[in-house]
Amino acid sequence: MTAIRKFRENGATFFLLLALMAIFSLPRVLRAATVEEIAMIKSADRQKILVEGAKKEGKITWYTTLIVDQVVRPVKEAFEKEYPFVQLEFYRGNSENVVRKMLAEYQAKRYDVDLIDGTVSPVMVQRAGFLQRFYSPALADYPAELKDPQGFWGSTNLYFFALGYNTKMVKANEVPKSYADLLNPRWRGKMMWSTSRGSGAPMFIGNVLTSMGEEAGKAYLQKLKAQSIAKSTASNRQILDLVIAGEYPLAVHIFNHHAYISKSAGAPVDWYPIEPVTATIQTLALAKNAAHPHATMLFLDFVFSEKGQKVFQQSNYLPAHPKVNAKQADLKAGGGRFKKAVYMTPDVQFDKGNEWVDYFQDQFLKQ
Amino acid sequence: MARQQPYETVEPPLNSRRSNPSGSFGLKPTSRFGPETYVLILVSVITAYLVLPPLYSVIQTSLFTTKFTGELDEFTFSFYQDLFRELQVLGPLLNTMYFSVASAFLATCIGGIIAWIVTRTDAPLRGLGYFTAFASFGTPFILYTIGWLLLLGRAGPVNFWLKTLFNQTEPVLNVYSMWGMVFVESLLWSPFVFLMLAASFRSMDPSLEEASAVCGARVWQTLRRISLRLMLPAFFSVVLLIFIRAFESFEIPALVGLPGDIRVLTTSILLDAQRMPPTYGRAGAFAMLLMLVVAGALYAYSRVTREASKFHTITGKGYRPALIQLGPWRYLAAAGLVVYSFILLVLPFLIVLWASLLPFYMQPSLEAFSQFTLKNFVTAIHFPKLTDSIKNSILLGLGSATAVMLLTTFASWLLVRTKLRGRWLLDLLTTLPLLFPGIVMGLAIMRFYLIVPIPIYGTLWILLVAFVTRYIPYGIRYTHSGLLQLHRELEEAAYASGASWTHCMRRITLPLLTPSFLGGWIFIFLLSAKELSMSILLVSPRTPVVSVAIYELWENGQVGELAAFGVIWTAILVSIAVTYYLFARRYGIQQV
Repeated sequence: MTAIRKFRENGATFFLLLALMAIFSLPRVLRAATVEEIAMIKSADRQKILVEGAKKEGKITWYTTLIVDQVVRPVKEAFEKEYPFVQLEFYRGNSENVVRKMLAEYQAKRYDVDLIDGTVSPVMVQRAGFLQRFYSPALADYPAELKDPQGFWGSTNLYFFALGYNTKMVKANEVPKSYADLLNPRWRGKMMWSTSRGSGAPMFIGNVLTSMGEEAGKAYLQKLKAQSIAKSTASNRQILDLVIAGEYPLAVHIFNHHAYISKSAGAPVDWYPIEPVTATIQTLALAKNAAHPHATMLFLDFVFSEKGQKVFQQSNYLPAHPKVNAKQADLKAGGGRFKKAVYMTPDVQFDKGNEWVDYFQDQFLKQ
Repeated sequence: MARQQPYETVEPPLNSRRSNPSGSFGLKPTSRFGPETYVLILVSVITAYLVLPPLYSVIQTSLFTTKFTGELDEFTFSFYQDLFRELQVLGPLLNTMYFSVASAFLATCIGGIIAWIVTRTDAPLRGLGYFTAFASFGTPFILYTIGWLLLLGRAGPVNFWLKTLFNQTEPVLNVYSMWGMVFVESLLWSPFVFLMLAASFRSMDPSLEEASAVCGARVWQTLRRISLRLMLPAFFSVVLLIFIRAFESFEIPALVGLPGDIRVLTTSILLDAQRMPPTYGRAGAFAMLLMLVVAGALYAYSRVTREASKFHTITGKGYRPALIQLGPWRYLAAAGLVVYSFILLVLPFLIVLWASLLPFYMQPSLEAFSQFTLKNFVTAIHFPKLTDSIKNSILLGLGSATAVMLLTTFASWLLVRTKLRGRWLLDLLTTLPLLFPGIVMGLAIMRFYLIVPIPIYGTLWILLVAFVTRYIPYGIRYTHSGLLQLHRELEEAAYASGASWTHCMRRITLPLLTPSFLGGWIFIFLLSAKELSMSILLVSPRTPVVSVAIYELWENGQVGELAAFGVIWTAILVSIAVTYYLFARRYGIQQV
C-alpha cells in the first residue's frame, strides 16, 4: 500500500521524467536508422557509427559465387582479424543459385542475406529491386567501369579470358595469336570451349560482336563455325584440364590465371591473350533489407580497400583495385602481356547475354 | 495350411467374397477402421504432402513466364509450343530414344546377369558383386564420368593401347559419341539393376524351377521360361526407371555427347536455363510431357500385374532358393564377376586415384609416376567445413533411406494387397518425383517452406524432406516388386492363426520383404550422397553437404583436387556400405 501511495506522490515527477526520456530518445526508439541511411553515411564519424552498430549486429551473411577454398576463407579471416566482433557467414553457389535463393527469400520477406556477389548476379537482383545503393569511400580510387554509376555495386576482382594450349602439342610459334589465326584449317576439330553463359562460348561471341561490330563479327563467327569447335558443359577449369591431359590441343576461352596456376605446377600448358581479350568483373552488392547493415558496410569498405585487395592478390586472384597488382602482374590488362580488353559489365552481360546464348545455340549447336 | 492352399487359389468364390479392401480376410472379424485403414490414410497424406507441392510448381512453371523478382507473370503456352517445335526436329528425338532404350537395355543385361550369378549360382567370389555395386555407385557421379573420359578419351590409355595394337596414328575409339554415352550411362545404372534384381532373384520360388528341371529343361531353358518370367515386375521396374532417367538426363549427354555434337532433347533445355532471368518453363513442359508417357506406362503395368498371383514366388512352402550348380561353368561365371568388377569399378577408380596423386593430370606413364604427391589430398582435407559436410551428408543419407523405405513399404503394400480402384494413381503419385526436374523441385520446396509456417528452411530438415520426396520412386519400385513376389497365403495364415494386422506386418510381411527393403535402403543411401540439384539451393551457411562441395571443386578445382576429394568420400561411403552389408547379411539376408 505504501508503495502505491509513494508512487502516486512521486507520480508527476516520474511521468515527467519518462516523457522527457521519450522525447530525447525518440529518433532512436521509434525509428532505427534504415539500411539506406546507414549505407549512405558520408559524415566524418562514419567509421565510428559503423563500428558501434556492427558490434551489436555481430554477423554478416554473404551469398557468394567466389571460391570458398581459394578466396572466401582468406577474406573472411583477414576481415575477422580486423573486426573481431563480426562473424562472416557464407553460402556458396553459382550466379543462378545465389540469385534464385535471394529472390525466393525476398518474396517470402525473409531477409537473411546481407551481401551478394557475382559477374552478373547483382544486376539481376538490382532489376528485381532488391539491392541498396551504398557509399564506400574506398571506391573513390576505382575507374568508372569498375563501379556502378548509381552506386549499386563495386568490384572485387577481375577475370581475363585467353587461349589455353598444350605446350607439348602446340609449338610456341604455331600458337594462334589473333582471331584470324583461329580460322586456320589445321585447328579444325582441335579446339574446345565451354557452353557457360558467363565464361564460355557466349562470352567469346559477345566479345567478337562488340569489338568487331555486328556485321564483321557475324561474318567472322560464320567462318569460325566451320572449325567445328567441341562444346562441353564442363567448366573452364575442367576444359583446361582436358587440354593438359592432351584430349584437345587448344581451349579457346579459358581464365588466364587457371593456366598460369597449372603452368607453375609444371603442367604442359600456357595461355595466349588474343586481343582484345574478354574481361568480366566480379561485383559485390548490398541487399536492400540487409539485417546487418553496419557490419556489412565495414566489410564493403574492407574488401574495396587496398588492404582487402591484397588478400585477393595473395590468393592468386586479380584485384580490381587499380593500384594493387596481380601477384603475377602480367595476368592483368596493362601488366605487360596485353593491353586491350573488352569489359563485360554486369549490365551488358545481363542485357546482351540472352542474344549471345541464342546465337551460340542457333549457329554453333544446331548445325 | 497345406490343405487350405489349393482351396485358396483354385476356388474363386472365396476371392470374390473378399471385397473388404483392407486386406484382412474371412476368419478374423475386423472393424472397418483397422490399422490398415489408418496406414492407407497416413501413407496417402504423407505422399500427397510431399509430392503435390512440387507437382503444382512444375505445372505452374510450364505455364507461366516469370518476372525479374521471380513472381509469376503471364500465362503462356509458349514453352509447350517450343517443346513441340523441338520434337519435330527428328535428330534429337531419335537420339534421345536410342540413348534411353539402349541404356536401359544394356544396364538391365549387365546388372541382371551379375545379379543372377551372385544370388543364384554357386560361382566363387560372389561377394565381389555387392562390393562392386556399392563402391562404383558410391563414386561421385561427375568423377565417374570424368574417369571414363580420361580412360577412353583420344589421348587416354585405351586409345594409346589400341593405336599401338593396330598400328594406327589416329585414335581408334571416339568416346564422344552415342556408344560412349550409352556405355557410361548403363555402367552408371547397372548397380541399381543389380541391387534390385538380386533382391528379386533371392526371393525366387525354387519349386517352379525344380519342376522345370524335373521336366527335363536345361538351366538356360529354366532361366528363360521360368525365372525371367517370374521376374517381370522387377524387370519392368528397372527398365522403366533407367529409361526415364536416361530420357531426362542431361549430364551424360552434355559431358559425353555434346563434344561430339550429339544433341538430345535435354540439350536445349539445359542451354535455355542459361537465359536471364532464368526460366525453367521448357524444363517444366518437358516434365509434363514425360509425365503423360509414364502415366501410360504405369497404367499398363498395373493391368499386367493385376493378376498378382502370377508373380508370387514366396509361398508358404519355404522359399529359400537352391543355388544352381554350374559345375565347371562356375569358374566362367566367377571370371564374369571379375571382369564386371574390373570394368565397372577398378578401371575408373584407378584412373581417378591416379589423377588424385598427380600435381596436374598426365597420361599414365613411368615419368608421371615420379611426380606423385599427396598435395591434392592435403587440399581436400582442408576443404572448408569438411567434417560438417560429411556428417550432414551421412545423416541425410541415413534419414532419407530409412524414411523412404518405410513409407514406400506401406505404400507398396496398399498397391499390391488392396483392391482399391485408383491404386495406380498412388503408384503414379509415388513415381512423379522422378520426373520433376531437380532444379524446379528444389525451387518448389524452397518456396513452399519459405511460405508455410513450418520453420525448417535453412536447416537439415528441409534437405531431408526434399530427399525423401526425390527418392520415393526408387523405394516404391524396390518394395513393389518385392511384395508382388510375396504370396498372400502367408499373411492369410497369420490372420487365420489370430494375428492382428500389425502383428502380421511385423512378423511376416516385413521380415520376408527384408531383401528388397535392404537393397532399396542402401541404394537410396548411396544415391542421396550424390544429390546436387536440390541441395545446392537448399543448403544454408550452416548446413553444408558433400555433394555441393564436390560440385564446387568440379566447377573450379583442378581435376586432381576433385579426384582426391572424391577418393576420400568414396572410401567413406564404401566403408559404410560394406559395414551395412555385413550387418545385413548377419541379421537380415540369410545368404549371399
